[in-house]
Amino acid sequence: MERIKRYTIIVAVLALLTACTESVTDAVKVDRLPKIYPDYTGVTIPAGIAPLDFNVEENGTEKVDVTVRGSRGGEMHTQGEWAEWDIDEWHQLTKDNIGGKLTVTVCDKNGEGQWRQYRTFDIYISKYSLDDYGLTYRRIQPGYEVGGNIGIYQRDIHTFDEEAMMTETALPGRCFNCHTPNRTNPKQLTLQMRGEGGGTLVQKDGKQTWINTKTDSTKAAGSYAYWHPDGRYCAYAVNSVHQSFFTDKDRNLEVYHPFGDVMVLDTETNELILSPLLSTPDVEIFPAFSADGNTLYYSTSQNCNVPAEYEKVKCSLCKIAFDPKTGQFGNKVDTLLNGPTTNKSYVLVRPSYDGRWLMYCVADRCNFPISQRESDLWLMNLRTGETRAIKEVNTNESESYHNWSSNSRWFVYSSKGENGMYSLAYMASVDDNGRVTKPFLLPQRNPRKYYRDSFDSFNCPDFTLEKVDFDIRTASKAINSDERVQVKIK
Amino acid sequence: MKYLKPITTAVFGVAIFLFWLFCHLEMMNYHEQNQLFLFTSDYLLADLRTPGGMADYVSEFIVQFYYVPWIGALLIALTLSLMQWLMWKTVAKHDGRLFILTFLLPLAALWNMGDIDSLLSLPVAVNTVLATVLMMRRVESLIPKGKMLADIIIVTVLYWLAGPAAWAYVLIRSIDSGWRRLLLSSAVLLAFTFFAHWLVGYQLPLGMMFTGVNYYRIPQKASALQLAVPFAAVVLTAVARLTSGKRIATRVSAILQSATVIVIGWLSISDGFDPYVNEILWQDSMVRQSRWQEIIQRAEKHQLDEAFSSECVNLALGMTGQLADRMFYFKQSGPDALLLHSVRDNMSDYPTAEAFYQLGMINSALRYMFDIQQSILNFRKSGRCTKRIAECYIINGNYKAAEKHLNLLRHSLFYSDWAEDASTYLYNDNKVECHKTWGKLRRYRYKDRMLFSYPEKHKMLGLLFMNNTSNRLALSYFMGQLLLDGSFNEFMGYMQWVQQYGGYNSMPYGYADAVQAIQQQGNVPGSAYARYVNKMMQQHGKN
Repeated sequence: MERIKRYTIIVAVLALLTACTESVTDAVKVDRLPKIYPDYTGVTIPAGIAPLDFNVEENGTEKVDVTVRGSRGGEMHTQGEWAEWDIDEWHQLTKDNIGGKLTVTVCDKNGEGQWRQYRTFDIYISKYSLDDYGLTYRRIQPGYEVGGNIGIYQRDIHTFDEEAMMTETALPGRCFNCHTPNRTNPKQLTLQMRGEGGGTLVQKDGKQTWINTKTDSTKAAGSYAYWHPDGRYCAYAVNSVHQSFFTDKDRNLEVYHPFGDVMVLDTETNELILSPLLSTPDVEIFPAFSADGNTLYYSTSQNCNVPAEYEKVKCSLCKIAFDPKTGQFGNKVDTLLNGPTTNKSYVLVRPSYDGRWLMYCVADRCNFPISQRESDLWLMNLRTGETRAIKEVNTNESESYHNWSSNSRWFVYSSKGENGMYSLAYMASVDDNGRVTKPFLLPQRNPRKYYRDSFDSFNCPDFTLEKVDFDIRTASKAINSDERVQVKIK
Repeated sequence: MKYLKPITTAVFGVAIFLFWLFCHLEMMNYHEQNQLFLFTSDYLLADLRTPGGMADYVSEFIVQFYYVPWIGALLIALTLSLMQWLMWKTVAKHDGRLFILTFLLPLAALWNMGDIDSLLSLPVAVNTVLATVLMMRRVESLIPKGKMLADIIIVTVLYWLAGPAAWAYVLIRSIDSGWRRLLLSSAVLLAFTFFAHWLVGYQLPLGMMFTGVNYYRIPQKASALQLAVPFAAVVLTAVARLTSGKRIATRVSAILQSATVIVIGWLSISDGFDPYVNEILWQDSMVRQSRWQEIIQRAEKHQLDEAFSSECVNLALGMTGQLADRMFYFKQSGPDALLLHSVRDNMSDYPTAEAFYQLGMINSALRYMFDIQQSILNFRKSGRCTKRIAECYIINGNYKAAEKHLNLLRHSLFYSDWAEDASTYLYNDNKVECHKTWGKLRRYRYKDRMLFSYPEKHKMLGLLFMNNTSNRLALSYFMGQLLLDGSFNEFMGYMQWVQQYGGYNSMPYGYADAVQAIQQQGNVPGSAYARYVNKMMQQHGKN
């Protein structure tokens, strides 16, 4: 009797489930790709990434029916308002097809009950893994002078889980920069709190130290940061940031730095290492250590009378030797890319952690690329010195704030390509020859709704190897106490 | 007199209704423009994610109706009347003679509402608490066992739905049932408060878990009155318990109660509502509704000596073509009397943002509106700002960004029709250009790229006018700015523009006065402009 009851329930549940799934019949073939959001056609993804849910944006779509078949086996099917995939099944399917592809068949039903079947498209599963836990980013409304509800978040890229690390609600009235981990290592991070009661956080192995990096010998506190690979040193740009606003319809604002130097903090002694070569009357900005830690890259531009001369700001990409044993800089600066002579601005250099590549922004001017519509990502092969625009990812709008995954096979970046206003996080991979695959937008459940309803930009996305352990209560107490460790000059 | 009590409550409600409708329309406008209630599940869930979220949700639902003032006033009246009635039902269990005294609670709430940043969430939360007390009294008579357990569960649920006003529940129930319950319920609520802090990922300061996340618009700024409102409910219950069974002459009791209520009622209105703040809010609400003549008429009788007020009056004069004639017959705060340098709050920039918009300085209007919205410290959106931002994007032809904002407004009650209509203009430049306002403003915009410079606003205005010489508002603002700056030579030099493009039959009275004052170096008795210049010189002398 009990068994009969159980079978009855199972049959009833199955009947219910099948009743929910409508079979696609008499579908009209449409000889083109479906309009889907995000554009995941032909993208390359790592195995184990969060499911690529997407919406069909055809005229009158009321229901979608999507089947995904792996070139090396496996199949998934979904039907509903949008293509929504089960996380575990998706992970299995992508893992079964590493190095292969998924072929996606999209059907939709319009308001008249007519099914339409579009041309299939492929999603490629990279042979390169992306095992990092996820991304960290600052979500901020792309406003003008008032930040609003800024927050630093971490997102598991294998699922859809997002967690707040530090938000404006926890620290009312405070403004904070994005946090910078050491080459995706969440155990070493730094961030700067701006304004009154500000300070620089250095967190190592869970211990937070709040530092005042402003001294009588430096013009301001540290801002844009980059860790030395050994975790002892951290380079900061020393600058103030300002913005002016355009009156015409095509541009919003111009961000500029009236001054800028570069310094290195010894996090063990809380001493600053300065070099006259990095504290010139020019504007030195956006430092980054090489993979071996023996070189510091940065950008520099002539100190123009900004904002009046905003169009003259052309950054060159330079490097200087750094000896981590002695903590001393070399006495010679090399210019890798000359801004004034090429009439371009080279900013925000990010060396890959395997020492193969330099990725940087190229814009017509300025040292703050996210505000420049024409800012594109470029790649330099450090073995050959060759450079090229990464056409695979660049759009007519700004691309910037790129960072590498821990294995340097993937990079994440912010692009305003979708609407020119809100920067969103995209990921793409690089192979041994520097070929870059078609990027994919950070997956979300019901992505059209998510991105349409969101008024946030994804600022400074970066990979994190593991989940960041950040104690907001300790940070909050320290921030409100105004107690800061004062750095000294070495 | 069976119905005396309900009639008294109803009369109180009518008084509250009339008070808000005729005395504090502007405050409703202020609250309405500091939120944007959306009929979406995400909006509900976002509210419910924080302690007190249900009270916030109900409050924000009500506040959206402030868009139609009489409905807003009615809903406030209903909320406060309900509060009194629930308080009466709560105290009646102990002492049925304190009906009049129960009006103290809604009057305390009214007093608190005089603070423009106190939110309706608190009265809603208090009502929820009192309703729960009454409900539990009924329920416990039906359940023989587990009354304490029921209370413990209710306390935690109530905390999550209504916020720390749940402490009033704990105390009132303890007054009902004894100190044992107080200790246990307090311990549970205290523990749950810390648990809730953990649940929100510690992303709210602990202090706000005790004072309320959204009872007040400004985080961590709990006022004494905010705490006094739920406390008043407890005190009234305690008084009822203390007086229960005591012999007090009915007349004496009624006189004492009435006197207390009258004093508190008078204080709640006289002390709670700041006429200065309300004047600012009134001007802003008039600017929002383009009721220019009313602004001018009121300023003729009384005007605040504030940049905000000058900007409102000047905009009203400009929009009615009177700026050239009458500008200096009204109070002018100084060089910022036409356009204010951006201030980071949710109020100060409104008249300047409106002026930028009407002038055709669309990017500046967009920027100011954006920053006003970002300055709402409980991070709510603003229907007014979102609407204007969408308009700016449409005028600029940035249709994708406009669409995003219109989509938001589609989920609201009072902006959805407008948003639907505005959506028909997207990606249709011809239609935008034919729109009476948007088309005109599109033609007014700057054609050349340059950076906005507030210190050089007179130049910005001059260039704007040269960009389109039919933009007479720009001309009157330009000339007005020169006068405000004391740029006499430039003013005299540009008088030819007034003659050529101003469309005046004779020289505007205000300009004639200024010319005379300049030529005679201020020695013109009765000259409005000379008076302004002298005032500025005196201020500079002091500085």
